[in-house]
Amino acid sequence: MSDDQTDQRPCGGDSPARLGDTVLTASGWTRRELLRRSGMGFAMLGLAAVARDDERTSAALGAESYRNPLNPRPAHFPAKAKRVIHLFMNGGPSHLDTFDPKPALEKYAGKALPTPNLQTERKTGAAFPSPFKFARYGECGLEVSELFANTAQHIDDIAVIRSMHADVPNHEPSLLLMNCGESRLVRPSLGSWVTYGLGSDNQNLPGFIALCPNGYPILETQNWQAAFLPGVYQGTHINTQHQDIRKLVENIRNDSIPLAAQRRQLDLLAELNRGHLADRGHDPALESRIHSFELAFRMQQEAGEAFDVSREPKHVLDAYGPGTQARQILIARRLIERGVRFVQVWHGAGQPWDNHDDIAVNHRNLANQCDRAIGALITDLKRLGLFEETLIVWGGEFGRTPTVELPQAGANAGKINGRDHNHWGFTTWLAGGGVKGGQAYGATDEFGFQAVDKKVHVHDLHATILALLGFDHTKLTYRYAGRDFRLTDVHGNVVRDLIA
Amino acid sequence: MSIRTAIIAWVAATCGVTTILAHSFAIGMRADENSARTTVAASTLATAASPAERAAQEKFFEERIRPLLAARCWKCHGAEKQESDLRLDTSAGVQGKGVAGQPIAVPGRPQDSLLLSAVRYDGSLKMPPDQKLPAAEIEALESWIAMGVPWPATAAPPARLAAAERAAVDRRSHWAYQPIARPPIPSPVADLNRVHPRLSTPLDALIALPLQAAGLEFSAFADRRTLARRLALDLLGVPLDADTVDAFVADESPDATGRLVDRLLASPRYGERWGRHWLDVARYADTKGYAFAQERRYPYAYTYRDYVIRALNEDVPYDRFVLEQLAADQLGPDTPTESLAALGFLTTGRKFNNAHDDIDDKIDVVSRGLLGLTVSCARCHDHKFDAIPTDDYYSLYGVFASCHEPGELPMIGPPSQNAAYQSYAAELAKLTGELEAFQTAKRREHTELARRNATDYLARQLADRPNVVLEKLSFLVGKPDDLRPKLVERWRDYLKAKSRSADPVFGAWFELTAVDEKAGGMDFAALSRPVIDKLLARPEGVEDGQINPRLKAALAARPPLTRAEIARLYGELFQEALQAWTAAGANGEAENKLPADLRQLAQPLIVKNGPVDLSGSDLKGVLNRAEGNQERELRKKIDAFQATSPAAPPRAMIVADNAQPHNPRVFVRGNPARPGKEVPRQFLLVAASSERQPFRRGSGRLELAQSIVAPTNPLARRVLVNRLWMNHFGEPLVATPSDFGVRAEVPPQHAALDYLAATLFERDWSQKAIHREIVLSTVYRQASVDRPDARSVDPENRLYWRMNRRRLEFEPLRDSLLALSGQLDASLYGRPVEITRPPFSNRRSVYGFIDRQDLPNLLRVFDFASPDQSSERRPRTTVPQQALFLMNSPFVIDRAKALEQLATATPGGERAAVDALYRQLFARLPSDNERQLGLAFLASAGGPAADVKLSAWTQYAQLLLLTNEVAFID
Repeated sequence: MSDDQTDQRPCGGDSPARLGDTVLTASGWTRRELLRRSGMGFAMLGLAAVARDDERTSAALGAESYRNPLNPRPAHFPAKAKRVIHLFMNGGPSHLDTFDPKPALEKYAGKALPTPNLQTERKTGAAFPSPFKFARYGECGLEVSELFANTAQHIDDIAVIRSMHADVPNHEPSLLLMNCGESRLVRPSLGSWVTYGLGSDNQNLPGFIALCPNGYPILETQNWQAAFLPGVYQGTHINTQHQDIRKLVENIRNDSIPLAAQRRQLDLLAELNRGHLADRGHDPALESRIHSFELAFRMQQEAGEAFDVSREPKHVLDAYGPGTQARQILIARRLIERGVRFVQVWHGAGQPWDNHDDIAVNHRNLANQCDRAIGALITDLKRLGLFEETLIVWGGEFGRTPTVELPQAGANAGKINGRDHNHWGFTTWLAGGGVKGGQAYGATDEFGFQAVDKKVHVHDLHATILALLGFDHTKLTYRYAGRDFRLTDVHGNVVRDLIA
Repeated sequence: MSIRTAIIAWVAATCGVTTILAHSFAIGMRADENSARTTVAASTLATAASPAERAAQEKFFEERIRPLLAARCWKCHGAEKQESDLRLDTSAGVQGKGVAGQPIAVPGRPQDSLLLSAVRYDGSLKMPPDQKLPAAEIEALESWIAMGVPWPATAAPPARLAAAERAAVDRRSHWAYQPIARPPIPSPVADLNRVHPRLSTPLDALIALPLQAAGLEFSAFADRRTLARRLALDLLGVPLDADTVDAFVADESPDATGRLVDRLLASPRYGERWGRHWLDVARYADTKGYAFAQERRYPYAYTYRDYVIRALNEDVPYDRFVLEQLAADQLGPDTPTESLAALGFLTTGRKFNNAHDDIDDKIDVVSRGLLGLTVSCARCHDHKFDAIPTDDYYSLYGVFASCHEPGELPMIGPPSQNAAYQSYAAELAKLTGELEAFQTAKRREHTELARRNATDYLARQLADRPNVVLEKLSFLVGKPDDLRPKLVERWRDYLKAKSRSADPVFGAWFELTAVDEKAGGMDFAALSRPVIDKLLARPEGVEDGQINPRLKAALAARPPLTRAEIARLYGELFQEALQAWTAAGANGEAENKLPADLRQLAQPLIVKNGPVDLSGSDLKGVLNRAEGNQERELRKKIDAFQATSPAAPPRAMIVADNAQPHNPRVFVRGNPARPGKEVPRQFLLVAASSERQPFRRGSGRLELAQSIVAPTNPLARRVLVNRLWMNHFGEPLVATPSDFGVRAEVPPQHAALDYLAATLFERDWSQKAIHREIVLSTVYRQASVDRPDARSVDPENRLYWRMNRRRLEFEPLRDSLLALSGQLDASLYGRPVEITRPPFSNRRSVYGFIDRQDLPNLLRVFDFASPDQSSERRPRTTVPQQALFLMNSPFVIDRAKALEQLATATPGGERAAVDALYRQLFARLPSDNERQLGLAFLASAGGPAADVKLSAWTQYAQLLLLTNEVAFID
């Protein structure tokens, strides 16, 4: 293919090979950083050399390349954020009860709103003011509800996007849209794109990890799917309900022999493989596989450490608080600290935040489970000097209605004290790497039904997240089935005001 | 033009390397044609106005109109995007037609111009959609149209060639679209003879030419042992045992290799190995994807997998293979029932809970999988590069929209009559009975409810905005929410069919609903008076032209005072008649007992297929959420039972043609809510023979399949042989195996590709014949050892100066571990088994259960083909998780334990045991050094001890299983 044809591609941008080439000419990592991140000394350097040599000759991922596709590579332009923690409040947290106060609802409490109720999944009725108290926080004085009082301590570092909107009021398409930028068809997830774009700084752990206790959210692994990207870019699910490393990471331990015995095994394996290689001459694929056993051996060690929160000092554990949410948010920090590129923290299996009934009780419980830990996470990242390098994203697949959900057989418990899904307007917040904190961006209408001012579609959020990580979202592409695909398809505008 | 055409033909004929050149000619043509168009536009302008006027008009256009169009319209209707296929950046575009055929801008007639009504927000089309234009801009547009839509000559941007013209150009110029001709076989080349005393095959002579041109030559032959392993793993996916290898090495007869290849191709293991390659293309899985409350598994997907394995083992000709997978149900009475399972090619994809996306999946697997054309790109707009217009996408859409997947799938094997089957059948009947009983009860219940609420349904038909209006009516029976969407639709259709002026019952409905409430500021009662008087003047009776006496009486006594009250009037009459019918016994006899007028009025609520009759229709849109959940649960029980019951007889996942084929319309921008022009069901422009005809038989599936494998269509054969080559060499000849469109490079070994494609046709589409051509060639039998000099010339080995060394994919690696430890369960076919979780099955990996919604990590980290889309080729990555599986998985450790038994059972001490292990695993003896290393390891390893649960032998056997020698094919 000629270069002029390249320019005609619908989405512009680089092919995988191009991206690879960029890596080779401008490796962004220093030796010291490499050693710190990998914690494994010269063997890693050896592999890196091998892998790069391999990449240089490869026409595209897959062609003549058994390289490690998670090798780190720089983005399109320098950026502060290097890694992402995505706190996913699956089920749809109510913006009206958390970060988007609407006192006007009090006036109409129990009565019809003066504006028609927008169509959502189910029928809703009268205005339903928030049962939670709001207060102002920080120098910026933004109002946050009591549910996230701990998180709000960091409000000056948080950009609250109050004008998010999506396409439909149903979980499945909205989850896909939020995670993969497309609500129906099979497309790679945000975490997969980021890992494809940047690789990972730690070869001993997967580059993209999805933490979710007790099982899967609805749509299961589709939420972190790699789709047509190579499978290694798919999120690795960790069931954080477990504490035993064996149950956390597949095949991470050998139950039959101790490490010392395994070391002896691998030493002889390496020697036999070297003899095999010597008979065959140059072959990066053979070399890569030889090294992969060394990587795996070290991964056993490192993975165990990464997930073992008991290694944290007591004051840190206390700061995060008790419970599964606290533990998994702390695990997220430990993973980020070790150079994992993208960590998604799902609140729980199914759709915990989907409070069609009893929102006053349920939202309080859910927030109680995670607010303290989120506050502690930000404090902790600041303490470790990682806050500026880490982008934190908080939100669900949509928000909830300012009007109460009406009873419907088979749909809710008929209590008339919950809220329906709301894709017309909701809140997502960003903090950390490169984010201009201490602001509320955009707004919903007087009652919080619909985004009206400076609207931010999910595609715009994705474009902005990629920009924060150093990518032009129109150029992070992958050639598949005759097209160059991208996370934002043909959409998305970067919201510059969110970037410091 | 003719000279240019000739040049293109010449360019295309000389060689594919010049495709890009040919394209730049094509672009040249576009520019040329464009200038011709602008000349026409300019001359039109010239005749319409004097020079002075024209100058003024141009000034007006440049100052007022062009900036306006650029700022307000071109983002969506310009060179980049053409929403609704509309361009407002050309004179032709502005004077063209909208989607529904309305003229955009009629010179001199603003009032007839869609452009103006759209910007005025007059009709349903409001443009720009976000915000109405300022009044001054609307006025400017109006003046411009009144002037005659002047457009200065220089203003026209390049026009695009029509799809048919593009297709014609591409078909002349693009290498992949050229007819397949058997390339002339060059005579042996002296230099080659030096390395290989004879060129084995014509294929080698063709490969040798480009090699020679690059100053390269073939590598030496691989040794016999290497070749035996290569052949076995390529063709069967499992290694040969040492005795067989030894016998082959010792066999000095000239046809030893040929005989081995014949033996391998005759093994049923061959179909398992190559069947899996095909399943990558077919995006096969055992589950539907996200199924919400439904059963997730496809209980019978495995019958498609088994069909593929069997078809390959039997070497079903490839054209027949394709015909069966698209249209096995239409191939005539001689077709065996079992081949219906082939239709699983269409049905085992992901289900999207959305018909359009399900069809898109079928279009994609057919077009990329079989033709190497990326037709799905044309769902929303014409393909950016290939001559595939949206019309063609919707032509194929029409084929698949004319088919359905029946709920009851046909059995393809006779049910056994044993006790297990009897109890299966009994249980199935019980579960099906439960579902049917539920449905029957619900049908009755909802028919009753719908009868009771007839007035509400009628009122609903009269309400503009459904519930808002309904809530205010005092005479409603139920709540507006109780109305079921499907019944609302059926009432609408029923009334539409019945409502004629002459009808004795619905004549009054027809006349009264036609009264325009808003006319002349009068209320409905006043407006309807003369209408009612006319109706009352009709003679009484139940025939056309008469008025039903009871209707007449009601109309006289309680005439509707509002439009909504028409529903009240009819609702009461229907209820009265229904009560009489019920009192008489509520059956056919009862109906006959009623007087004619009552009988007539009872019809809507009792007639078969009437608006409330639910017998024989599904309950979608009738059940409420809770009832729907109950129904799904019952259905899920049946599906789950069939998926798990070993006695369930095999069934084919077929598609069947609908009674009425679907005449597709192009969906504008891919949006089903915006149907555009109708297109015939027919084959793709770019791949069709010149006399393309609309499909005539039913859905057209069979004709589609026939077009794909037509001798005149070169794509299907080129695509297939390229895939076969890829799976033998690890690399394809054409680098994009599922995209042979104009951006596909000319393969460096083009002649070899065409030779194999021609041979496929000559050998009656036999895939095994192609395998034989490939594996008996010199190019295949070369050593894989590196040659730095050759690598510096052709680092990617695209010319094939050596064999590629390949790492085993997950399936042959796992199968090898089983085979090498003597534990492979060689049984063929059947329901999927669990291979990634204990208890581990010892069957071949192709029989493993594939859950596309939750693909096991293990498969993912080993680069398994995504089962969500037709897989062009698998990625190849090396990640530590692969090593972790081999180091720590109980599955691998179990294999090592079996090898320990083999070693320790060997008589003759440790040395002999080490030798035996080497023979078992590598079909060779260890070198002295290897033997010494092994013995030293055994001496030092120790165990079993307290924390070392494995014996030294098991540890040793395991590490041997982990070697590159096991994982790679030289």
